Amino acid sequence: MWRRIFFAMTIWPAFAAPAGAYVAYVSNEKSNTVSVIDTESWTVTKTIKVGQRPRGIEFTKDGKSVLVAVGDDDTIQIIDVATQQIVDTLPSGPDPELFVQDAAGKILYVANENDNTVTIIDIARRARLGEVQVGVEPEGMAISPDGKILINTSETTNMAHFIDTATRQIVANVLVDGRPRFAEFKRDNSELWVSAEIGGTITIIDPTERKATGKINFAIPGLRREAIQPVGIGMTRDGKTAFVALGPANRIAVVDATSHQVTKYLLVGQRVWHMAFTPDEKYLLVTNGVSNDVSVIDVAALKVIKTIQVGELPWGITIAPQ
Amino acid sequence: MRWRAMIAVLMAMAGSADVGRAADPRYPDWPCAQAKVPEVSLAAVWAGPPLDDVANKWKDDATVNALVSRLAARRTPLDEAEKTIAEFLSGATPEKSERGKLLFAGLFDTLNAQRSSVMNGLERVTRKQREAADSIRAETLALHAQQDAATPDQAKIEQLGNQLLWQTRIFEDRRRVIKFVCEVPVAIDQRLFALGRMIQQGIE
Repeated sequence: MWRRIFFAMTIWPAFAAPAGAYVAYVSNEKSNTVSVIDTESWTVTKTIKVGQRPRGIEFTKDGKSVLVAVGDDDTIQIIDVATQQIVDTLPSGPDPELFVQDAAGKILYVANENDNTVTIIDIARRARLGEVQVGVEPEGMAISPDGKILINTSETTNMAHFIDTATRQIVANVLVDGRPRFAEFKRDNSELWVSAEIGGTITIIDPTERKATGKINFAIPGLRREAIQPVGIGMTRDGKTAFVALGPANRIAVVDATSHQVTKYLLVGQRVWHMAFTPDEKYLLVTNGVSNDVSVIDVAALKVIKTIQVGELPWGITIAPQ
Repeated sequence: MRWRAMIAVLMAMAGSADVGRAADPRYPDWPCAQAKVPEVSLAAVWAGPPLDDVANKWKDDATVNALVSRLAARRTPLDEAEKTIAEFLSGATPEKSERGKLLFAGLFDTLNAQRSSVMNGLERVTRKQREAADSIRAETLALHAQQDAATPDQAKIEQLGNQLLWQTRIFEDRRRVIKFVCEVPVAIDQRLFALGRMIQQGIE
């Protein structure tokens, strides 16, 4: 940290703000709040009251707003980052849980857990553009790097649905393991990873062939298999290293994303759920739902360096783009 | 008539939700919305050095013993616990690791035992509640029978009615207490994990 500040002061005095200071927003599912974390001091600088049962949370691509799905209020709230206040809502379907934006940040795709649909929303106009019928209890959402394919996983049908974003039709279904939770593409579109909470695995899918090509399994000595529940996935931009949150195993698995081998398990907090990298990929922040905190992982050292208390049942996390 | 209306309300309360409907068929007496995890596994809370060689040894160390009681108690705030642990673990590395292991072994045993006793208590009270619900139901029928009799015994009706009122009140109070106590095993899990993490950081 000192080196960075020194660098900022001496070499680039014009850039007053230190290069490494980011802001993270964490949704607290039980306390109905969003905690704002400063990544320079690693402290909570503000707690924003939001609607009921906030889960999916994401910065808009311009970094000006934070969208948060408040499932029990059946809507998505928009937090203005400058004033840290809720300024508007987006018309999702009932019980929105997770959502994803297209590359341009104009269109939002929302998984509505209760009515088996994905709602498509024009963010600027705050208007609903359409709906896609998917499997039972849609949850995980991802968009292919070229923006042409939207992935939605359904918890009960155990499938990853491939949706053509132009025609809004399902074009393929790939069977994965029990209760798929989250989907993540490699940036080069070579692989799609889908986590299965009950199955305890990651299914690796070839996005072109639309077929499962491999599985990642996890084993921690002394822990029952049921305690290992993969949920959130984070991948470095170079596609070399992946991090998988293992829920009540209280650990993050570090995976060599090329060989698909687990290289390390890091003890973080209780019921680790979702995660976000700082834009420089120096740190990975993960939410721990039962210990009510956020763990900070030093990505290069693969070490937990900090724990920050937030609200009750922290669920999602998003970090401001640069 | 007055009794009849009241009894209908009481019956509805006693018969509803909480008694006898377990979410997990393996644990029919478990009354909480929180899933029952019978024991915390060591691996879920500890990624430090193995504790096999210190099992039960912590009991022989008076300092560790005293510290375990203090840290396990929920009245000790966690930030105070953190300071205490840091002080206890100051010193040379190999020794630090041994002391940390002893301390955590003690906390693990103690808090797990506390947790089990709370959970057993919850299941015991649930069984009692089920009995109470049965008895309320039976007495309500007796009351109805009295009321429907050709020559109702007013004194008896009054007595049965009062009895029912009290039983239902106790039943409802217990139900509220159960709901509150359901949070305790979770609170113990959180404490055990937090203390474990502090100790691991201290000996790293």
